[in-house]
Amino acid sequence: MKIQLLKNKLTGLIIPLVLYVAWDLLSRYELVPSTLMPPPKVLFETWWVMQSSGELLLNMKMSLLRVGAGFLVGASSGFLLGTAMGLWKPVEQYLNPVFNFFRQVPVVAWIPFLLLWLGIDEWFKIVFISCGAFIPMTLKTYDGIKNVPASYLEVVRVFEYGWFRLLRTVIVPSALPSIFTGLRLSLSEAWMLVIGAELVAAGEGIGNVMVIARRLFQTDVVLVGVIVIAITGFAMDRLLGLLETRFLGWHRTQNAQ
Amino acid sequence: MERLGTLEVKNLSKKFRSRNDELTVLNDINLTVQPGEFISIIGSSGCGKTTFLRLVVGLEKGYEGEILLDGQRLNGPSLKRGVVFQDHRLLPWLSIEKNVGMGLKDAKSDESRKAIQEHLELVGLKGFEKHYPHQLSGGMSQRAAIARALVNRPGILLLDEPLGALDALTRMYMHQELERIWKQEKITMIMITHDVDEAIVLSDKIVVMSSRPGTIKKIIPVPLARPRDRASYDFVKIKEEVLEEFQLHTEHPFTYTI
Repeated sequence: MKIQLLKNKLTGLIIPLVLYVAWDLLSRYELVPSTLMPPPKVLFETWWVMQSSGELLLNMKMSLLRVGAGFLVGASSGFLLGTAMGLWKPVEQYLNPVFNFFRQVPVVAWIPFLLLWLGIDEWFKIVFISCGAFIPMTLKTYDGIKNVPASYLEVVRVFEYGWFRLLRTVIVPSALPSIFTGLRLSLSEAWMLVIGAELVAAGEGIGNVMVIARRLFQTDVVLVGVIVIAITGFAMDRLLGLLETRFLGWHRTQNAQ
Repeated sequence: MERLGTLEVKNLSKKFRSRNDELTVLNDINLTVQPGEFISIIGSSGCGKTTFLRLVVGLEKGYEGEILLDGQRLNGPSLKRGVVFQDHRLLPWLSIEKNVGMGLKDAKSDESRKAIQEHLELVGLKGFEKHYPHQLSGGMSQRAAIARALVNRPGILLLDEPLGALDALTRMYMHQELERIWKQEKITMIMITHDVDEAIVLSDKIVVMSSRPGTIKKIIPVPLARPRDRASYDFVKIKEEVLEEFQLHTEHPFTYTI
């Protein structure tokens, strides 16, 4: 059982390993110009320089703060709207069409408008990120509440539950898996958008580091940026995934059957 | 004290209306169930037997006629009537103990704990308190559902094909269990089924329904001593009597399907 699990995990590492070797060979024998594709060794050195000078941490901190703020605002308002639309018919009738209309607009399409309104300062980035985080959170929360099985609601009707007990015993637990999915989607959206926002306009942040590096033709710095972004995003998603298994054990084991 | 659990159904009719159509699902049902009786309602699918049960539970609204429990007209679902559905409907995020305690006002009080323990013992699930529904077999889940329906001591227990999803052997075992629970709790039970043997093994009376619209065709008493022997002459005789009711409606009198 344990060995099988380990094997599954290791299988996922095969292709990255092959890519790594290919990359190393390509750059080592100069099959692609090293200005466009520096060898892995150089990347490690660049990373180490950026890390030890504190440059990487400072910029990461900036980006993560923006993600934190945007995610907090976006996800919590999405949670509220999704809950309200899921629980109260009038709210659903008033707001769902409007929400569905606006969510068709890709968040990046708001950039020009947001820049006009908010300039290129922090406000722009936070509002932009929270818009992106807001949409999946609203959708998944709303979905989760709407899809509480009618059969469970019938059981509870026989037991004459009050509003609060109904919410606590049936609706919230039943909607939680979907809400968690919303959180994960929302966080990864926020992480993607912070980089987007920093590519457009920023003085600091991991995206900004990459923009400047591109202008100076520092391909190694750009690539370190890409890898750091990937690792951070991956780590954040895993963290939420762990929380999910911790709190929704019943859901995992049930679905595994 | 007079025993509770008398159900009277008088001239009950139920129609479902769609946009330009009206479908009579139940027509002029009259039935009296005495406290402590075990009644089975049997009929082919689509005869409205589940609708009837849902009306008695209070999950279905709008009917003509009267449904009285101990002389009182029913008004929506109530703790006085327990239900067991065909799918056990245990909440997957609650332990068995908590599922069984769902019908209690304050599941944490000493009294409630005692009631939960007693009912888990009643259905033979002692030791499974902390398990979750997905860890139980179909038969065990259904037993937990029965415990949940009984824990708040309803006057009447309604069972909607409770054993329909179980395999044949588990089913026969559950017949014994259900009979034992019924005897021990002395509660009125009304069970929907499409299994003739099951109805005869368990019931005091079998209500045979015909379809479109659903009406009571015949009420067949089962005056056999318990526990009942499926192979006995009297048992088979009653079985023939029940099956005959279904044959009349088929176009080919020599083939019947149940």
